[in-house]
Amino acid sequence: MDPIERHEKKRDAWRRLLAQRQRAGMLRGRVIAISLLCFGLLWAVVFVQMATGNDPVLSAKSGANATATATAKRTERHRARAAEAEAAAEPVEPEVEAAPEPEFEPTPEPEIEPEPLSTGQS
Amino acid sequence: MSEARLVFDCFGGTVAVHVRGAAGRDDDEVAREARATLLDAHARLSRFEAGSELSRLNRDPREAVPASPLLRRLAAAVGTAGELSGGLVDATMLTEIEAAGYVASLAPGLGAPPQRVVAPFSSPACKRRQSAWHSISVDEEAGTVVRPPGVKIDGGGIAKGMLADLVAESLEGCEAFAVDCCGDLRLGGGSSRPRRIRVEDPFGGEPVHELSLATGAVATSGTTRRAWLGPDGRPAHQILDPRSGRPAFTGIVQATAVAPSGLLAEVNAKAALLSGPEGAADWLPFGGVLVHDGGEVEVVGAQRTAPQPAATP
Repeated sequence: MDPIERHEKKRDAWRRLLAQRQRAGMLRGRVIAISLLCFGLLWAVVFVQMATGNDPVLSAKSGANATATATAKRTERHRARAAEAEAAAEPVEPEVEAAPEPEFEPTPEPEIEPEPLSTGQS
Repeated sequence: MSEARLVFDCFGGTVAVHVRGAAGRDDDEVAREARATLLDAHARLSRFEAGSELSRLNRDPREAVPASPLLRRLAAAVGTAGELSGGLVDATMLTEIEAAGYVASLAPGLGAPPQRVVAPFSSPACKRRQSAWHSISVDEEAGTVVRPPGVKIDGGGIAKGMLADLVAESLEGCEAFAVDCCGDLRLGGGSSRPRRIRVEDPFGGEPVHELSLATGAVATSGTTRRAWLGPDGRPAHQILDPRSGRPAFTGIVQATAVAPSGLLAEVNAKAALLSGPEGAADWLPFGGVLVHDGGEVEVVGAQRTAPQPAATP
């Protein structure tokens, strides 16, 4: 094998090696990108779920809803009080922090229909 | 929240007490107290027990006889029933009812089976010319029942209606209650939720009607359940015509009356039955159900509003 031919083979070998490294790098990059994307999506889903109060750890789904409802109600009440305070001409005393409201409102027991009676000849 | 319910034998039939929401007390305990009251009243007022207070009063030769508050209340109720019904409901016909064959406790269903009795004729009953219930009075100060010796009281349905009222008075604080004295019902309580009340078929079939009532009373009087064959082989029953002293065949075999109190419901039901088809409806101002001897069912006065509880007359 003459020197020129040997040089050409070396160059081909380098090219193949570089191409192989490029493919490996590209694959590694794709895997990392997809992993990051999946993690980001999952994290976003969990964040949104927790932020809206739907913590799956809480067994009572209605309880979570009640909390959200209670929070919304408190916000509405707070806004209404603020509006009243603005409308009133007299200065309003600083609002005393209200006692913490129960998170879960007691559910009224369903009223059972009274047992029917019979009237007959006594 | 379910209601406490006690069912027991009393007054020759089945009695039930329903209690829900007794103020500050256990519903079962309140129901048990009501049962004790009714069983004690039965022991005192049964004419079938020779040792009962009522039987002793009926035998007593004195004119004024010391009596317990319960017996005095029954004696007063006998007078009230006579006055309210114009003498049609006469609870002093013990001799006549025994002569007709009703001398021992006769639970419904143990006598002649319910049947359509074809009476040879039917006519409205009338009051007695010499009514004995006029002569009964109560001296609360002396604690006595005053009546001519020989006048005998038969509590019968009057006692059941009165006792339903008595127990109802002790249950007024409950959220809801019902006292069923063998078909004489008294309902009440703070809850306004109505209760369904089925009116039984006098001939043993399906209920003939259904009422709905939250407070008040319902009583039924009839001629087919506590019935028997008389010595002459003719059908007999416990509802007597005061004028003749014999079982009344008026064309009505069962009358159900709604009223504010158990006593008034019982009086109205009996008076309606004794008045016959022509005048029966007039005795049901709060509504009711009539069953004619041919089996026809007549519903009187649609119940648009439940009667308000009133003081026991």
